[in-house]
Amino acid sequence: MSGTRTLIHLISVSLLFIWSAVLLYFYYTGRVNEYLPGDGIFRPMVLVTGIGLAVMGLFNLLTMGSEVAGCEGHDHGYGGCGHDHDHDHKHPEGCGHDHSSHDHVHHEGCGHDHAHKDHKEGCCGHDHDHSHSHSTCGHDHSHSHDHSHDHHGHGILEESGWTGRLVAILILAAPITWAAFNSPDRFSANAVMNKGVYNQNYASTARADEFTLRGDGNKPSRAAPKPIPMPDAPLAAPDKFNDPAEVAKADASKPKEAQSYGSFTLEDLKQQVPQNSKGQFVLEVPEIYYTGGDLEVQRVITGQAIETVAQILPEKVNNADGHRLRIFRMLVQCCAADARPYSVPVDFGKKAPDFKEMTWVKISGTMSYEKEGDQTIPVIKATNVEETTAPDNTMIY
Amino acid sequence: MILAALPEPSPFGDVLMAFLSILFEGAPYIMIGTLLSGLIDAFLPAKLLDKVLPKNKVLSTLMAGFLGLIFPVCECAVVPVIRRLVKKGLPLSCALSYMLSAPIMNPIVAVSTLTAFKEFERITGWATLGNASMTIARLSLGYLVAVTVGLIVLRFKPAQLLKASVAESIEESAIEAAHNHAPQSSFNAKLVHAFRTAMGDFLDTGMYFTIGVIITSVFNTQVDQSILDTVAANGLLAIPSIMGLAFILSLCSTSDAFIAAPMASFSMAAKLAFLVFGPMMDIKLMFMYAAVFKRRMVVAMLLGTFLLIAFLANPWMDLIQILQTTSKP
Repeated sequence: MSGTRTLIHLISVSLLFIWSAVLLYFYYTGRVNEYLPGDGIFRPMVLVTGIGLAVMGLFNLLTMGSEVAGCEGHDHGYGGCGHDHDHDHKHPEGCGHDHSSHDHVHHEGCGHDHAHKDHKEGCCGHDHDHSHSHSTCGHDHSHSHDHSHDHHGHGILEESGWTGRLVAILILAAPITWAAFNSPDRFSANAVMNKGVYNQNYASTARADEFTLRGDGNKPSRAAPKPIPMPDAPLAAPDKFNDPAEVAKADASKPKEAQSYGSFTLEDLKQQVPQNSKGQFVLEVPEIYYTGGDLEVQRVITGQAIETVAQILPEKVNNADGHRLRIFRMLVQCCAADARPYSVPVDFGKKAPDFKEMTWVKISGTMSYEKEGDQTIPVIKATNVEETTAPDNTMIY
Repeated sequence: MILAALPEPSPFGDVLMAFLSILFEGAPYIMIGTLLSGLIDAFLPAKLLDKVLPKNKVLSTLMAGFLGLIFPVCECAVVPVIRRLVKKGLPLSCALSYMLSAPIMNPIVAVSTLTAFKEFERITGWATLGNASMTIARLSLGYLVAVTVGLIVLRFKPAQLLKASVAESIEESAIEAAHNHAPQSSFNAKLVHAFRTAMGDFLDTGMYFTIGVIITSVFNTQVDQSILDTVAANGLLAIPSIMGLAFILSLCSTSDAFIAAPMASFSMAAKLAFLVFGPMMDIKLMFMYAAVFKRRMVVAMLLGTFLLIAFLANPWMDLIQILQTTSKP
């Protein structure tokens, strides 16, 4: 194996190790929990891939000498198993060869007991030398062809010139390493705003079945026997959410008015939602959010004391007197990049207290609803707000 | 154990956060795809493809569109696989219809679409199968578009569409086949070869993937997404704009339905366009396709599939929904 090829091979293996290390590091530190949801196969796949890439790298590292040795120094640039471009320069006469003689020479030189095609399959497998000969003779492909970012054979690293190789190595190594060291594992207010924290659709039914306060006899209750932390057991949907016609209607329309979904009582609420020692209903922001689309739940919960933990931002809509703040939680479907903020306004009835944006707060208050434009907006009339620590899962999955 | 204190959140940190999360989501599939590609290269005899596929190219193109059902891959995995298969002598028309349809016409995607659109609950038996409108519409339109592209490609020579290097290796395998060389190298040698190819392919694909994910994460965190809602409200612009969104977001086809389903402001037809166009064309795929095809071909595919899907989405959704009403008890 030529020096260049050895170097490229080692660099390739190192790149696999870098990727593997980042994946395994994020998996084992648990940092991956901030990036991917816990249900589904997303997190285990990070572990599998981390191990897989390490194995791939290790295998290639351990076998790098074995096969290649036989090819080494071979006349036709099969040495190095065929990626060296020096080949083209050294052997322009190689054009004259027909393929059978080419193969033949290789066969002997390679010293394997392979049949003719072996150098293709076994001896590092490169058909491409042939094509190089083609290109040097048949076509008027120039030197620069070979040095472009071609995906010839084993790829960019082996088929490019040094500029191309360096760029490729940089792209493969730098962003992932940089991100691994510098990612804050949280979004800033900037991303939360861009993702639409002030642009909410409370009547949406999109994931309402997971967060509705409704339940029936055979559905899990969060209130009894003891409170279960949030995203564990999604409550099943009332029939209306499962009715294709209704869902299609809801999906197809724009933000619209809250609807009636059948009877709901204070008993139902107590049945489904845990209460804290002060008797306040402990809700998550998405649960409060979805009450905005359900008339009966609104009727019951209006005026009830609730408590929730969320992050805080200044309120930028409908807040001329400065009495309001906005609280939100991020909801993730598949990965943090698709996280969307679910938010509700909090009204203090006086000048809202100063919080650094994105601070985690525990808010107590009573529920109220306001009509604004074509939606009903849940508003928490705050009675108390205090800074708190972030929950284990900063995002809801 | 975390090595250092985490940095404070910042707009730049948002990009890193989004970047890593998409990377974690996508890297497993790239690894699976490139391992497959390596194994194909080492163990699949070139002539096998000729034997298995029908001689009639139209027929084989139509069949290739269903291959995803047997070899389910998402779009990140399919590109390295297809590059390898083309080099192994798979006709380009078949390769394209497989490449474009496999990320949609496959069981994993069918299940994720059924789940995301809550269509499982609507199917109570064979009679109500038609109620899974979105899943049916997605798979069928995906197949239709992929096969259409494949059939159009029949009219061209591979050398006109493929990158010079890829096209040359096809000539190469043709010559090898003519010489009737029998692959007989040892299993170990093949395995070494498979892993070496897989490594090269992973790094190749990973590089283009990285570039695509960087662009995606910048858009995802630095641009106000509510612009989209305004556009979505406009009936005429809704479909093209949601397709533009699919292009920029570069989601994996196994999970994009979960993103599309909650987009309350878009119509079902618009979501269909999102779910069919996204797996075929997006930023990261543009970069990945560039590793196989000539630039002109990539642009032609982009425009062709865009127009086809944009015009078909509405009538197709209507058509499929007829199925729903007639099959309802």
